[in-house]
Amino acid sequence: MSLYHTAQNIEASALGQTIRESTWLFPAIESTHLLALAMLGGSILIMSFSILGWGLKTPVADLYKSAHRYLNAAVIVLLITGVLLGISEPVKLYGRQAFWVKMISLAIALLVTYFVFNPLVRRGASGPGLRSVTVLTMAAWLLVAMAGRWIGFS
Amino acid sequence: MLEGLVTKLADTPWSIALHESLYMYAITESTHVMSIMLFVGTIAMVDLRLLGVSYTKVPVSQMLSKILPWTIAGFALLVITGSMLFLAIPIRTYHSIWFRLKCLMIVIAAINIAVFTFRVERDKAAWDLGPVPRKSKICAVISLSAWACVIVFGRLIAYNWFDCDSITSPTMAELTGCPLDPG
Repeated sequence: MSLYHTAQNIEASALGQTIRESTWLFPAIESTHLLALAMLGGSILIMSFSILGWGLKTPVADLYKSAHRYLNAAVIVLLITGVLLGISEPVKLYGRQAFWVKMISLAIALLVTYFVFNPLVRRGASGPGLRSVTVLTMAAWLLVAMAGRWIGFS
Repeated sequence: MLEGLVTKLADTPWSIALHESLYMYAITESTHVMSIMLFVGTIAMVDLRLLGVSYTKVPVSQMLSKILPWTIAGFALLVITGSMLFLAIPIRTYHSIWFRLKCLMIVIAAINIAVFTFRVERDKAAWDLGPVPRKSKICAVISLSAWACVIVFGRLIAYNWFDCDSITSPTMAELTGCPLDPG
């Protein structure tokens, strides 16, 4: 079964139809998606600014103790609401370049955040290596947000 | 008077150019969304500190002096891109109930910031690292709620449920400044 065919099946599903046909559901999910995006931005940036020497003087490992909760909560809400939005219009998404750019940058952002950035911050690393990872992490999430908004235009 | 101003704005070449441009509108809208991460993201982290639930090892004074400049930078980006988005579609946005509610929430958030700056944080040296006072928590909750509403109402501007051509109740006509035309 081709990916396009799968997209058609998801589009025809009861959940997909419900979200698509409701007046309020899509906007409500979309708004929640945006609120979680702000939370993700805040938790990543408060650590990043500190690492890059542009922010708080508190050791980053201490900031992480608070920030990672908001980061995890934001990522979970973003993934759930994102999947729900996707289920409502998968055929449209299949054909949009911005969607695929977003999915690839999202995979990179998640991998870099959870397998490189977080472990380094947690054990109190510092130096140019961590600063490069930080810039990469910020850039990846910015690209995810930008490509995400672009899906609506392309 | 505002109505006339908005109508004039819509006729300017700037407005038409933005409205008809293939990429400029999308770039502006995407930058607006990315700036939300910077602005609401950082102000939310400051509010969580003022609430006393997170970042308790960071002195309140440092949170304000090191993070708020970023918040202000984010706000500047949002005002610039937001004005451009308004300029692109002035008349419809002016009448949008969501835009009006969003502006109301921004005013509430601004008053809250003024109260915080001129009254609440005056004695912050006394609670820089200790338990935060109730007044600080109240400001934080108002700020978090108001900015969340700003995001949601802002997103809803895109929907045409209450555009002028679908206004049928006198109350909504009053609130949106739309002419009441049941046809």
